[in-house]
Amino acid sequence: MRIKIDHTKCTGCKLCEVACSLYHTGSVNPWRSRIRVFIGEEFCLPVIAGPYTEAACNSKGVVFVDGKEFDGCVVCRASCPSKSVFKEPDTAIPLKCDFCGEPPDPQCVRWCASEALSLVEE
Amino acid sequence: MFAWKRKILRVDLSTGNSSVEDMGSDLIRDFIGGRGMGLRILYDEIDALGDPLGPDNKLIFATGPLTGTGAPAGGRFIVVSKSPLSGAIANSCCGGYFGANLKYAGYDLLIVEGKSPEPVYLSIINDAVEIKPAGHLWGKWTMKTEGMIRSEMGVDFDAWELNSMSILSIGPAGENLVRFACMMADAGRAAGRSGLGAVMGSKNLKAVVTLGTGEVAIADPEGFKKAVMDFLQEGRDNKELEKRRMWGTWSLPGRANKNGTQAALNFQAGFFEAFTKFEDPAFIRDRIWVRDEACFGCPFGCSKRSRISDPAYPGTLKGPEHETMALLGSNCGSGELDDLCRANYLCNELGMDTITTGATISCAMELFEKGYLPERDIGYPLNFGNTEAMFELIKKIGMRRDFGEVLSEGGKALAEMYGHPELFMGVKGMGMPAWHPQGAEVIGLQYATNNVGSSHTKATLPFYEGRRDPAHGVEWTKDDQDYLAVADSAVLCWIIYHGPLWREKLLVWLRTTTGIDYTEHDLSLIGERIWNLERLFNVKAGLSGKDDCLPKRMTDEPCVNNQVVHLDRMLPEYYRLRGWDEKGIPTFEKLQHLGLEKEGAGLK
Repeated sequence: MRIKIDHTKCTGCKLCEVACSLYHTGSVNPWRSRIRVFIGEEFCLPVIAGPYTEAACNSKGVVFVDGKEFDGCVVCRASCPSKSVFKEPDTAIPLKCDFCGEPPDPQCVRWCASEALSLVEE
Repeated sequence: MFAWKRKILRVDLSTGNSSVEDMGSDLIRDFIGGRGMGLRILYDEIDALGDPLGPDNKLIFATGPLTGTGAPAGGRFIVVSKSPLSGAIANSCCGGYFGANLKYAGYDLLIVEGKSPEPVYLSIINDAVEIKPAGHLWGKWTMKTEGMIRSEMGVDFDAWELNSMSILSIGPAGENLVRFACMMADAGRAAGRSGLGAVMGSKNLKAVVTLGTGEVAIADPEGFKKAVMDFLQEGRDNKELEKRRMWGTWSLPGRANKNGTQAALNFQAGFFEAFTKFEDPAFIRDRIWVRDEACFGCPFGCSKRSRISDPAYPGTLKGPEHETMALLGSNCGSGELDDLCRANYLCNELGMDTITTGATISCAMELFEKGYLPERDIGYPLNFGNTEAMFELIKKIGMRRDFGEVLSEGGKALAEMYGHPELFMGVKGMGMPAWHPQGAEVIGLQYATNNVGSSHTKATLPFYEGRRDPAHGVEWTKDDQDYLAVADSAVLCWIIYHGPLWREKLLVWLRTTTGIDYTEHDLSLIGERIWNLERLFNVKAGLSGKDDCLPKRMTDEPCVNNQVVHLDRMLPEYYRLRGWDEKGIPTFEKLQHLGLEKEGAGLK
């Protein structure tokens, strides 16, 4: 199973960040969320936290999405030492998406009213 | 403490000092947050008769207990101050992410006072509060200002932090003290009416940056989650809300026009031929839509970002919303979609309220067409529908140049200057919004009695389910004014929860997030307290029942459906329901009931 992202439907409401942090921490704090939404002018990009990497990244650069230029760190799913997201704000402990338990019931998908996020069998 | 952070950040721009204060429990109990709490503080701390553009006026940026919780459509904040446009109380609501960021930074409220000797901007990154020089930003348009601030912040923050940051700024209009200048936040959100951008300008404050990485605690996470799930389902099943999601306010110009309630040609009509094409909102969406844009925590995303292909207007704009389309469109005799976007774009960039800008220009247009305003004063003809002249004037107003200098004082001053005050279509100096009161006369009562002036956001318009029966219009106006005062204090979005829906939902969100078992009675009492204290502020500022009036056109000249507004019939009933005397002043008994007897003591 995986969470499919259709960024063209994302409105940037960040309810996924609310849902994720509420489920995992019991309070609301987007910075403790395992999903973050990057707000672009013409579209938004939801990014879900992948595995932690300790290695310094050597592929940093510019990435193009639908013809728009983004910082490579924005589309990268990894939690890493040089990035502000996907880590606990106070302790820097890395965060990774766990599909909200077993069986998978990702809260971000449930809270996403614009259907930018969906759970698909794969 | 759940939902609230219970902290107030106070920044004195005169001294450069900032401090953090605890928020008293009585403030929470009696006023909840947002609009109510901001009012309470402003009422206690400023002289209501003082100059709104003087250093003693204060700006209170207020979130509510729901801000940042993720309560659907509860991501807004409100700015409370004394209005330089009306001289009355001001509370301008704004969406985007700014409110949530302020809350996550650890503060429910931000009070800005004094006046900086030099242009500055304020940066609030959690507990790091800094006043930074803004000389290089002065004169810049709002989007450019946001971009430049982000660039300089880029030294210390990575792409994600910069993207999460909220920037609220003023444009040249605010700097030049245009009396209807607004604040712009998050690339297109506006704290629009009442001219609070000019208050920022008067303090030499160009922008406020917020970024918060803290949390908001929820009293009953399980109950809250379940209520949100239920609401999301209701939202999918509710046709009105589905329409809002799809079209935003783009479904309204066509509908209002068809019903004859669309402000047209300075309210000389309720119908504008060129707007019939908007009866199918797809006409708009197909041509200019770029994406749906939600405020923080809103599942509906009713705002639309749009674009026109004109190199003179690069990038995108947020809007145009219905109100803008009416006041800068039909009311000025302008009907081409691209022109509506151009006018909206300029107002956003210069930082001016689109509604009041339109109201002021349309007033000038009627004065010109009737021969009261000579062409030599303007420099060019200003007939209805002369869009090139409009764009020119919008820029001139923002820069306070030439005839723009006159217009920047607002439509009321303009109409008085040319000897025809009856041609200004507004209340308490604030231009009327899109809905023509003669389409449904209770709208006239809502505009006339509104504490901030003629805004459409402080009572439910009589077009919604449960609010259509004119026999109950006066009673519902009072009830809705009170309840929306609480919604603005929570802070919950008026656009989504219009009509009776929000009463029930407001209770649910407040109970589950705060853990306090509010009742409907509690909330209406708090709302009534807020409404009455606003009234007391206005009385202290020199306003009274004589200011609860409408332009003569509304009450004497039938422009729509051969109807006039019988304000003389509705107003006494309204005062009676409110427990006010015939001059519109709250009685001692009423104030005692609301726990405001101390505030009312000086009135007698």
